[in-house]
Amino acid sequence: MAEGKIKHYSDMLQKKEISCTELTEAFLSNIESANKDLNAYVTVTADTALNTAKAVDKKLSLGEMLAPLEGIPMTLKDNISTKGIPTTCCSKILEGYTPIFNATVWEILSANNAVLLGKTNMDEFAMGSSCETSCFGGATNPHNINHVAGGSSGGVASAVGGNIAVYGLGSDTGGSIRQPASFCGIVGLKPSYGAVSRFGLIAYASSLDQIGPVTSTVEDAAIVYDAISAYDKMDSTSQGRRGEPTALSIKNDIKGMKIGIAREYLDGVRDDVKLSIEKACEVYKSLGAEIVYFNLPALKYALPVYYILACAEASSNLGRYDGIRYGYRTSSYKDVNEMICKTRSEGFGDEVKRRILLGTYVLSAGYYDAYYKKAQNLRGSILNAFKDAFKNCDVILAPTVPMTAFEKGNAISDPIETYLTDICTVPVNIAGLPGISIPCGCDANGLPIGMQLIGNTFCESTILNAAWQYENAVGSEVFKESPYGVKI
Amino acid sequence: MKYEMVAGFETHIELATNTKIFCSCTTEFGGESNTHCCPICIGLPGTLPKINRQAVKYAVMAGLATNCEIANISKMDRKNYCYPDLPKAYQISQYDKPICEHGYVELSSGKKIRLTRIHIEEDAGKLIHKRGDTYVDYNRGGVPLIEIVSEPDIRSVEEAKEYVEKLQQVMRYIGISDCKMQEGSMRCDVNISVRPVGSEEYGTRTEIKNMNSITFIGKAMEYEFARQVDLIESGGRVEQETLRYDDVTNTTSSMRGKEDAHDYRYFRDPDLVTIHVTDDEIDELRAKIPELPAVKKQRYVSELGLNEKDAQNISKYRKIAEFFEEAIIGVKTPKTVANFIIGQIFRRLETEADKEEFATAITAQQLNELVKLIDAGKVKNNLEKSTLEKMLYTGKSVNDFISESDMAGRDDAALTELWQRAVENNPNAIADYKNGKQKAIKAVVGFIMKESRGRADAAAAEAKILQLIK
Amino acid sequence: MVSHEDVLGIARLCKLYIADDELDSMTKVMDDIIRFADTINNASEEGAEFDNINNLSNAFREDEVVPSYDREEILKNANDVDEGHFLVRKRV
Repeated sequence: MAEGKIKHYSDMLQKKEISCTELTEAFLSNIESANKDLNAYVTVTADTALNTAKAVDKKLSLGEMLAPLEGIPMTLKDNISTKGIPTTCCSKILEGYTPIFNATVWEILSANNAVLLGKTNMDEFAMGSSCETSCFGGATNPHNINHVAGGSSGGVASAVGGNIAVYGLGSDTGGSIRQPASFCGIVGLKPSYGAVSRFGLIAYASSLDQIGPVTSTVEDAAIVYDAISAYDKMDSTSQGRRGEPTALSIKNDIKGMKIGIAREYLDGVRDDVKLSIEKACEVYKSLGAEIVYFNLPALKYALPVYYILACAEASSNLGRYDGIRYGYRTSSYKDVNEMICKTRSEGFGDEVKRRILLGTYVLSAGYYDAYYKKAQNLRGSILNAFKDAFKNCDVILAPTVPMTAFEKGNAISDPIETYLTDICTVPVNIAGLPGISIPCGCDANGLPIGMQLIGNTFCESTILNAAWQYENAVGSEVFKESPYGVKI
Repeated sequence: MKYEMVAGFETHIELATNTKIFCSCTTEFGGESNTHCCPICIGLPGTLPKINRQAVKYAVMAGLATNCEIANISKMDRKNYCYPDLPKAYQISQYDKPICEHGYVELSSGKKIRLTRIHIEEDAGKLIHKRGDTYVDYNRGGVPLIEIVSEPDIRSVEEAKEYVEKLQQVMRYIGISDCKMQEGSMRCDVNISVRPVGSEEYGTRTEIKNMNSITFIGKAMEYEFARQVDLIESGGRVEQETLRYDDVTNTTSSMRGKEDAHDYRYFRDPDLVTIHVTDDEIDELRAKIPELPAVKKQRYVSELGLNEKDAQNISKYRKIAEFFEEAIIGVKTPKTVANFIIGQIFRRLETEADKEEFATAITAQQLNELVKLIDAGKVKNNLEKSTLEKMLYTGKSVNDFISESDMAGRDDAALTELWQRAVENNPNAIADYKNGKQKAIKAVVGFIMKESRGRADAAAAEAKILQLIK
Repeated sequence: MVSHEDVLGIARLCKLYIADDELDSMTKVMDDIIRFADTINNASEEGAEFDNINNLSNAFREDEVVPSYDREEILKNANDVDEGHFLVRKRV
């Protein structure tokens, strides 16, 4: 499946084999049927989509050329602000909230006539690994609906994996793009910190959050990444893409590319997943790449470091939900303070409360040094360890998740066990690196397995190149088609 | 036992930037509620702060003007506390790396009040409580502030007042704030404790919050000093607490209970990057700092021969000092210029704001011309003041008034005729005056000034008319 | 060991109520999570200085006024509004 879906549909539109309205209607009607099973969309924006489609058709009728993403039906995770369209983070506390401004990424894409089909499901405030902490219930896996789509960007992954969106944007704080992409058998790119503007992304953990593409193919990921990786003056941490558009170099030869394997990434990983990684190494060798093995002992503390820092930032970022300016407000209270406390207690779900409590704890007087400060210093060591590793290799190959998609209900029954499954994805966020998950096989039950390619800061083109070469080499061997959705 | 007061100040000053600290909304005072707001001001989810360059520059200038060390590297932190006037539930401030540290403000006695630090932060919105309902307006939210923290070096109400005045004066001088206490652009928290005279140890302090008048600061400190002394004398203990001052009853009272003890959970704001100010940039800003009032005053005394009091008065306001310095260029007797300013020009400036603005009818250049003529002996002694009065009345230059004959000091016969004519032509005004409307006489003087094309001496004319109509 | 008091104290800071029947289970979970977080204190190394992720500095905005939003828009998402203000009404 090396041919990108975006180009496929764009060509069809340009050649007038289908009108944008027809294409959009096909997706909308498939959403109507498939979403009952997948629960991928929490808001469907049929009017917005059809209006844009009309504009694109008008352009086509005038014989104009379309931009790469013009007229392509897509979706946004429900934590990306869309003016006039509800944006809830799948939390009761944002019930009824409709942004009055657009996230920068949506500003860019809507200016390109992207056809927004709707907003997709997620773990509440992006806190979770199964999408099941959503106040709308979780999105399910398009390959087996008794399993989860993953999280937190479960809805986007389910929609793209289930062919009810050509692509989508998710957000990744500790694996929230890559893990569901891995579970749903698709591609998910978490860009370098600062490559894509966070303005309008409802914050979970500001120093870790990044918006990125969720797509069917590597080429699609490159096209979407190139479109959204622009410097934004509204975001102080924004830098934009460095260098040429990545789509120009994805097909480059990778002879002599050094692919690193950090042994720690394979600790505790399920055998079938490990085997898929070993097979991938063979594929790379056959493409002329060199495999180098090394140790990354700093990874040992990545998970607790991640949870301490992410929760600390979250506890502060989520302080603003007080029922005064927007969102849910409790119905009965004695005074303002009680109104705020009751609103928050009724509006937030359990996982969000746990993380706010943990974050408050690690920042509070007497604990700051032992937890927050220590974690921040270890973040420095992890970052340095990656910098050192990239002196000896071009990309790091690792599993995305130590297993395949959980059965529904398993993730929420034991929060800490679930935290542990983020082991392979969080280091990338801690170090601000780009990481991509691509399908590399299936388990015995037919559930997709994903592998992760990690690059040095702002080296998206390198990992996309390595990912495309793998995808091109293995073809449909590892790709699994979902029974759902549009097939045009 | 005799006790002494120990006090330190935390002073918040709103910076005179055009826009707020983290967004491009106006900082203009007033305005309908919630009309100076954008998604960033009200903390909508997904919004991000972007720091105002000018706010950082102003903070550096504040530090330079108060003898601080400027940090090349500083950062912004979040101070977390949940209150309806704080839309993000945290205030962006500076915790362990403030932009300025270790400065001082020198009092007229020569005593230095040490400054611990100056840091940058954002202002909160405003709450209005009406019949138990809470109304929130975020116009002021996000206005840039600096907080100037002093060491507990203040020992009396007089020192406290002078400290606040000095800060106000310096910040206005360098143009970074209007420091209007009544509009809240300067607010003080006073930390105060007492101890037996001679003791080196500090007593338990209380903090009087949000003082917005120098007079009330004095009263509150006097009250609080007496309260603490009484408490200790009667065997009690001072509780560390936050107080509010009531200017009607002239008392302080506790603002919140201990159970609400704050834990601000400061941590670096991940949405903002490091602030790096280079030595070159600091030097550039230093060059923008004008000579400060204390230095000016000293120079006026030692170099220009002004007495202490006049030097103080002239140097107090930047615009007056600049006017003075321009008016004395090439003048033999700066003292004459000072006398004119203090004697005749000040009389016309009623409020502090007038003095701050120093809107005079004449330019420094015009005063300079007059004094040069005086220096040259071309204006008779008894005409000096009246000539300046004429200038201030009309805004015209000295040459418009002083004819050869004026300079010779001769009485102009034509003027006598003019006064007569003025009385005859303004019967109504004169009747009004006689009926007690003092101001009516101005109309008659106005007639004279008009007829003489501004050449007459207004003061002399007024005196003459009064004489004539007696 | 995280105690009930710890959890209640923390909850007060972040404005959450913990119901009586949730307190035991929340304390247990918090204790588990803190133990898990505590593993970083087994690290022998002190760690390295961490400033910000890409070592950025001086992302400034120029001091130029942009018109504010219409008040209607600003107040649009509020639960209760009166006289151009966000409002929290007294309840009995």
